[in-house]
Amino acid sequence: MRPAFFLLLLVVLANSLPAQTPSETNGKAVFEKWCAPCHGAVAPKNVMFGTGALAGTSALAVKYKGKKPAVLEQRTDLAPAMIKSVVRHGLYGMPITRKTEVSDAELEDVVAYLTRNRKK
Amino acid sequence: MVLPSNVSEADFNAVLGEFRSAVGPSWVFSSDEDVALYRDSYSINWGEPEERVASAAVAPAKVEEVQQIVRIANRYRIPLYPISTGRNLTYGGSAPNMRGSVVVDLKRMNRILEVDEKRAFALVEPGVSYFDLYNHIRERNLKLMLDVPDPGWGSPMGNSLDHGAGYTMAAFRDHFASHCGMEVVTPDGELIRTGMGAVPNADSWQDFHYGAGPTVDGLFAQSNFGIVTKMGFWLMPMPEAFLSGSVTVPRHQDLEALVGEVSYLEDSGLTGMPQYGSPVGQAAFGPGAAAMASLMQNGWPSAEAIENFVAAQKRPAWSVQLYFYGPEETVRATWQAAKRRIGKAIAGATFQDGEFLTLPIPKEKEPAQSDKPRLGIPALEVFNMVARNAGNANDPSDGHADLFVTIPRKASALFESARVLYETYKELGLPARGNPFPTPFTYYSRCFWTGTTVPTWRDPEKNARSRAIFEKVINRCAEHGWVGYRTSPAFQDLLISKYSFNNHSLLRFQEKLKDSIDPNGIISPGRYGIWPASMRKSRA
Repeated sequence: MRPAFFLLLLVVLANSLPAQTPSETNGKAVFEKWCAPCHGAVAPKNVMFGTGALAGTSALAVKYKGKKPAVLEQRTDLAPAMIKSVVRHGLYGMPITRKTEVSDAELEDVVAYLTRNRKK
Repeated sequence: MVLPSNVSEADFNAVLGEFRSAVGPSWVFSSDEDVALYRDSYSINWGEPEERVASAAVAPAKVEEVQQIVRIANRYRIPLYPISTGRNLTYGGSAPNMRGSVVVDLKRMNRILEVDEKRAFALVEPGVSYFDLYNHIRERNLKLMLDVPDPGWGSPMGNSLDHGAGYTMAAFRDHFASHCGMEVVTPDGELIRTGMGAVPNADSWQDFHYGAGPTVDGLFAQSNFGIVTKMGFWLMPMPEAFLSGSVTVPRHQDLEALVGEVSYLEDSGLTGMPQYGSPVGQAAFGPGAAAMASLMQNGWPSAEAIENFVAAQKRPAWSVQLYFYGPEETVRATWQAAKRRIGKAIAGATFQDGEFLTLPIPKEKEPAQSDKPRLGIPALEVFNMVARNAGNANDPSDGHADLFVTIPRKASALFESARVLYETYKELGLPARGNPFPTPFTYYSRCFWTGTTVPTWRDPEKNARSRAIFEKVINRCAEHGWVGYRTSPAFQDLLISKYSFNNHSLLRFQEKLKDSIDPNGIISPGRYGIWPASMRKSRA
């Protein structure tokens, strides 16, 4: 087979394959690496300048005052578009996350993980 | 699309094509959506023409690709701006120093090349974070302790190159001083190694930092003379134990003697970073608020009024937490010695034993551990101070800008700087800031830092107010010889202008180097005030 034709065939095949299904398992791993240091499940001890408290979890505890879980992994109302927007654009003190840190595919995995219990 | 200045769109597209050939098409980011990910999340110019936004980004995976990028940029005179993990928030983040630069995103260069337990060093690439290096060490059960800054997502390389600092012993918490050997791509695409790394068959690159001849490592920190691609760091052997102890002293005037005693312990290598506090000052955030307001109602109080106030509060004026690392026998003995010395020097000093821990902390106990950075555990918990919290529940900022100015390590300088900051805020017509109970930052053991933090927003009007405060504080502090050690790109020219001895001879020397090493001015134009000749403004 000629190299050029072989390459063309590969490209055609790749484009015809269905997009990979997002992986909740990988999403959990990506979440634990990139999100959990601020949004983990450690209960906030002190929402002012608490040592041992996590910034994201504490911030959401202050924001929702118990109306919604402060721990993201316990939420059932997170929409995929909102997750992607916050990760890519940041929100308040949470900065932008670049694609060299969390790729688009990894972000889809995180979305799959955080929406696994979503109420339709 | 933002273009680099003086570069046509056709040339820029040609450059992007060459970058794609060098690193692969997936690793050149040029769409508006992708380039926006390189904005500084904490920019104090967000959404304004002055915001320093990139024209594109390129993410090499190995040093040869960095060399190719630099050579391409030289041909087209494209300004580059390297970032390591891009998490240098409040100091520019992942955005370039100059609008229109191409960000060289080194996050993919994330190999931990070597960690030697016996010789206690690590050799890493730019994209390695403190979290990565910590996990590497823990997974292999290596008996080494990292010294980490407050945010653990930064890189040892990037943090040290911007003179970041941590919390443990002085020899390790000055992150640049604890580096040993670096590899650098110079602006002409050449590759150099410093120290013993310049000896082809040496196995001591991370053992001896000087080699022979002039040391040039410092030229690559807070500068624009090259792109650092590898860096070695000396690490602390994992101490067997950690012990903390708390000291209080009763009178306001006792701080000078306390600083003297604590400095003795620090300079003798007996304690880690001391944490000064003021029980009286702290009470002003709660039950002592009204009393403090009364003290300050007629302006800065006299020494006598301050001392009378402290006596009436029935709280100690000052406290300091001391932290000891080492075998149990020595940390307990050192704490005893500290108590003996301070007790003899300061009448009324009190002492309280703190936490004793056997190290390393078991992994399962890490999450609940407070004060993680003091134990060499990377974390992001410091962001509690700026995220939505009980103190800003309805109006959290989008970021912040910090100014830490260097002052002498003595109480009198600390008091004077607190008074000057108080007066400066008053001149600006802002609510009173500060009181006679300031506590210094002690990251660097031989000096104190003090300063201010202003919020940043995605709102130009609010940012204009923050900028006005920041500039005023920089200028006013500089009148007293107190100048910052780093700052956000928006203020780097102003900051560097204060290092003006002999008609700015230091900066003029750096400019001569720039002209020689980087004649096309492609690496980080303007970083810390060093501009290429073609962009240099006349100095007033």
